[in-house]
Amino acid sequence: MTPTPRPARLAAAASLGLLVASAALARDVTPFAARAGLETARAGAIAWAPDAHLVYLENDEAVDEHGATPRWGYLFYSPGQDKLRAYSIRDGKIVAAEFVEMQLEAPPLEAHWIDSGEALAAAERGAGARFRHEHRGRLKTMLLMRGAFDEQHPDATTWTFVYASPEGPSLFVVVDAQDGAVRRTWRG
Amino acid sequence: MRPLPPRPPLASLLLAIVLASTAVAVTTRAEEAEVKVERVKPDRPKLATLQFLEANRDFVRGELDRLRQKPLARRGDGEALDPRYLEYSKMLAAILADKDSAQVADEAQRRRELLASITELGDLEKQLDLMDRLLQEQQGRLATLEADFTGRQQTALVVVVTGDPGSTPISALALTLEGGSKVTIPLRQDQREALARGGVLQVFHGFVEPREQVVEVTLEGDRWPQGDTGYLTLDPTRDRLTFLKLDLSALRPAQGATSIHARTWLHETKPQKGEG
Repeated sequence: MTPTPRPARLAAAASLGLLVASAALARDVTPFAARAGLETARAGAIAWAPDAHLVYLENDEAVDEHGATPRWGYLFYSPGQDKLRAYSIRDGKIVAAEFVEMQLEAPPLEAHWIDSGEALAAAERGAGARFRHEHRGRLKTMLLMRGAFDEQHPDATTWTFVYASPEGPSLFVVVDAQDGAVRRTWRG
Repeated sequence: MRPLPPRPPLASLLLAIVLASTAVAVTTRAEEAEVKVERVKPDRPKLATLQFLEANRDFVRGELDRLRQKPLARRGDGEALDPRYLEYSKMLAAILADKDSAQVADEAQRRRELLASITELGDLEKQLDLMDRLLQEQQGRLATLEADFTGRQQTALVVVVTGDPGSTPISALALTLEGGSKVTIPLRQDQREALARGGVLQVFHGFVEPREQVVEVTLEGDRWPQGDTGYLTLDPTRDRLTFLKLDLSALRPAQGATSIHARTWLHETKPQKGEG
């Protein structure tokens, strides 16, 4: 086996350390994948509006290397009320619920989407891991929505990853939520 | 959060009394808990959610709008079609119809021949088995739908009022749930008399979010200070029916709404297996 050069190992350890430290800051709550909190969020949304459907989700706290976080935020839209309401799920409970005042005519997410762990693995393979190592980057946000970010498939549900770096522009990685293919990457 | 549709007043009162009495009788009292009515709204730390969306709403909206089909201002004027082209499509349809008729005749002939053979009888039996299986599967799906839409208990809250406030009658009671609008329930003379005789009045029945939340209770009456409000912290259990009883028998104007004795308990109906 070829030994890894020391600087590269240090950089990798530092990147991993950043991720782990971020997750550790989120206290002792067990991190979970995005889909695991969906039914709890939906129970709240249906109580608010029977026609509510999921249009968006993102991590509310730092994401670990398995695509899990102690808190996820889910955004629902009710056509009947023409309102958006967000639910933040932590430890299997709704810990925040609030109306979001913005116009976001996002279509409902497709029923099938790969979970956050699988999507993160795809993004890391795509360009995320390299960006983290080369630019001292860290994963800042992962979000799921439909009808944005992918010109080739404008109706697709996609995971979008935002990697931040102190050295320059962020890296965006768009992963198809159906098959896990990396659709698009850009710096901005 | 989302009240159920109102019933006629008298029927509602009577039904409420019956329902509440029945519910009290069948409820597991082990889960009953006293709820403190506070004068000041509890201050809970607010957790930020969807921070990226909040900070980049223009960017996200822009990405969404960029891929959406937009109507153009330019009119799409059409030109008159050559009538011959329309005739061609009619001719094509006639050709296809004739072809279909021929195929149907051939098919019928083949079927007659097949029916004459013993093999066809075996196929028919298989077809019947298949239909039988499809029917069974359909029944299974219907049973699932029935369980989902008629048997599933969503998170709900019932608020009932008991007790005679005595010399400090109240004319109305208002409830405000977090994220919901204020619901004011006027207490008519006959309802107040029912309370004085030990009745139970249902004042709210609706769906609520399964999370810790503050419910505001405001009392109104000639001898009550304007807008006297108490705050109760409830945590309705997901997919269960939570009862909140407001006992007005110990009401004191000097103490205001905090003199309400409040208790909660869960109805014994639990989520069915496999409902998540």
